[in-house]
Amino acid sequence: MSKLGCHKRKSVEDADVDLIPIMNMFLVLIPFLLLSASFFHVKAINTSVPVLSDAPSVTVKENKIKLIITLELNKDGIHLSAMSDELTEAQLAEFEFNLAKESQDQFPFEQMYVCLEKIKQKYPASDTVILIPDDNILYDTIVSAMDMARYTAEKNPLFPNVVLSGKVG
Amino acid sequence: MALGNMKSHAKQFVEPKLQITSMMDMFTIILIFLLFSFSDNPETLTIDNSLKLPESNAELDYKENIKLVLSQTVLKLEGEVISDVQDGIIMALDTENLQESSLFSKLKELKENEAQTELNPDKKKNILFLCDKRLEFKTINTLVKTAAMAGYPNFQFGVLQK
Repeated sequence: MSKLGCHKRKSVEDADVDLIPIMNMFLVLIPFLLLSASFFHVKAINTSVPVLSDAPSVTVKENKIKLIITLELNKDGIHLSAMSDELTEAQLAEFEFNLAKESQDQFPFEQMYVCLEKIKQKYPASDTVILIPDDNILYDTIVSAMDMARYTAEKNPLFPNVVLSGKVG
Repeated sequence: MALGNMKSHAKQFVEPKLQITSMMDMFTIILIFLLFSFSDNPETLTIDNSLKLPESNAELDYKENIKLVLSQTVLKLEGEVISDVQDGIIMALDTENLQESSLFSKLKELKENEAQTELNPDKKKNILFLCDKRLEFKTINTLVKTAAMAGYPNFQFGVLQK
């Protein structure tokens, strides 16, 4: 009986796993991964400049009407307007907004977003926005405007095609 | 007698075991974290400390592109210094005559080389602009216009993910 007890105790004894080789492997892997890890994630925003096009204009159904939105960023705020071959001047005037700056450096991007959402709901095929900043507008502000115009808060496309243009005239 | 005592002490001495289990746990966590943050983009992008990229909610990865870096002091094309920048003015770019600039000729050359070597339209290269967020639009616009005239009307702006 006592012999059996002794035997049991021996079999329960902890088996030592040699962790040293695994530690060695970790010590090699970790510096390697630390060197090749990227802590800043650089992403990209697709943009283009206006180019001459000879594509013919075609008549389309109402829900397929595409509006092209122009956003002018100037010292007073944002001027938002719409262009389309399918709508009349009076119809387009409905989508013209002058959004004044909230403070010296703060552009009314929230208001702009609301206007853009309204246009998108009415003409869901619209996907292009032309951004026309004044010469002295900071690049950071331009990127913020692009962010607001490209996607909704739920990450649905709003006006994903952004065209950057200088002021003409 | 005293020697005998010492002998018995030496017998009792047990070699201390290094407790590496907790260290293993720590290393495993670090390893998993690093494996997750391991860049899947084979291209490494070296950015000067002086360059402050704007933050954005963009989630698109940049493609294999021609890199144009514009900081507050220097303009670089694929790592090669093209011009100095002073007070937001790119010294080597004449705004009235962009086609005469060295940047234009270098981009044009790249475009021509690309046309000769790459027949697959999917492999067309664009320009990735890495511009300092404190620069004004007029500075960036001259660069964008030069690139567009050289045959690159579509481009990407490099930003930091928020």
